[in-house]
Amino acid sequence: MTKTGMIDFRGVNKWFGALNVLKDITLSVEPREVVVVCGPSGSGKSTLIRCVNGLETIKDGNLIVDGQRVGDPATNMTSLRTEIGFVFQSFNLYPHKTALENVTLAPIHVRKIPRAEAEKAGRELLAKVGLADKVNAYPAQLSGGQQQRVAIARCLGMRPKIMLFDEPTSALDPEMISEVLDVMVAVAEEGMTMMVVTHEMGFARKVAQRVVFMDAGAIVESGTPDEFFSHPRTDRSRAFLSKILRH
Amino acid sequence: MLENFSFRTIVEYLPLFGQGLVTTVWLSALSFVGALIVGIVLCAMNLQRGWLFRAPAKAYIDAVRATPLLAQLYFLYFGLPRLGFVLPELVVGIIALSLNSGAYIAEIIRAGILSIPRGQVEASVASGMTYVQRMRLVVLPQAFKVTIPPLLGQAIVLVKDSALLSLISVAELTRAGQLLASDRFMPAEGFLTIAAFYLLLYYCIKGLAVLSSRWLGTAGARA
Repeated sequence: MTKTGMIDFRGVNKWFGALNVLKDITLSVEPREVVVVCGPSGSGKSTLIRCVNGLETIKDGNLIVDGQRVGDPATNMTSLRTEIGFVFQSFNLYPHKTALENVTLAPIHVRKIPRAEAEKAGRELLAKVGLADKVNAYPAQLSGGQQQRVAIARCLGMRPKIMLFDEPTSALDPEMISEVLDVMVAVAEEGMTMMVVTHEMGFARKVAQRVVFMDAGAIVESGTPDEFFSHPRTDRSRAFLSKILRH
Repeated sequence: MLENFSFRTIVEYLPLFGQGLVTTVWLSALSFVGALIVGIVLCAMNLQRGWLFRAPAKAYIDAVRATPLLAQLYFLYFGLPRLGFVLPELVVGIIALSLNSGAYIAEIIRAGILSIPRGQVEASVASGMTYVQRMRLVVLPQAFKVTIPPLLGQAIVLVKDSALLSLISVAELTRAGQLLASDRFMPAEGFLTIAAFYLLLYYCIKGLAVLSSRWLGTAGARA
């Protein structure tokens, strides 16, 4: 067997009806690598990372995550998902649970970690994302930035091997973006394998090893952040960058 | 008409009204519990992907919603003995109310579950929860809150519907009013009195609704 990455797309295709939303995607993400995925709206970047944990199914091609083939009947998706954290644009915290309960729910019920131990770890994680004083707050009592940090802590509570971020700062007020990005930088620096859909170029430059640019369902360009931002190779990426870097 | 309204007759019949009221309360309560069970089972069937369970549930709910409760009551009252089930009127009445209200409750619960945003399900799926875990830990606790007020509304409807059981001679509240009206030929005394008792029951259930919404409003607030 050839050496595979942590996340390995090999000729992956997906359709929504007649629309080819992922076109022959081949992409390998190595362990501890941080890959930023960017591209215009509707280019398929969210769909791409949602395939990794099976929130979307693929039509053909192979997608191998942590050595297991996604969508294969022999693969236990439920257990594979425990190794993959997913951070949503709209946070999706559980509104009927406190911040701490949000963080400990899956560790207790899915990972079967004893409650006391899970709560201790949960408190440490909330402290790590700067929310030690919000342990007992409900999501509705938190700002967007705070909610997203709880959501990141919730993923970390499962001790995942991979973290996926789907536009984690797009729903936030500008002054809250940096507090979330700081947490993501810290996670990246601890060696997490990450795929991040974002237009935050500062984040990409700081921690990403690679930037992947998508348009109309295909990967158009891929390179180091420096190469991509300073010397984009295609017209489409140049046009895209001129739009997002204008302001 | 009201100048010869006889409060004395009402007082005379109060023990009968009292017994009727008590019967109405407990048979409604039993029927509501039955309806909850019927509703939960129907709703679970209705939320399955395959048509095998869904189709019969949908057909049942449609049939109940499309036909008058009185017809359903007579259907059971005259139909069950033909199938060999000879049951007391009271039992037939409770079964009829449970089966009828259950269809409405199934839809109330389904609406509650479907009102939970898709993102909640996705978040729990992404964290590796099984179907049962995400229903138990994430979806149902949230659906429960939005379901309580319409469920109590259905309870009010059920109490009023139980008046129909007087037609199969169950000795509940409306039956008491009928007896007074026919014994003394005093329909105003009979039916205004039971109306007052139904109003009283209504306010009791409404009080529960207010209490529960206050309680649900403070525990785990949603913005």
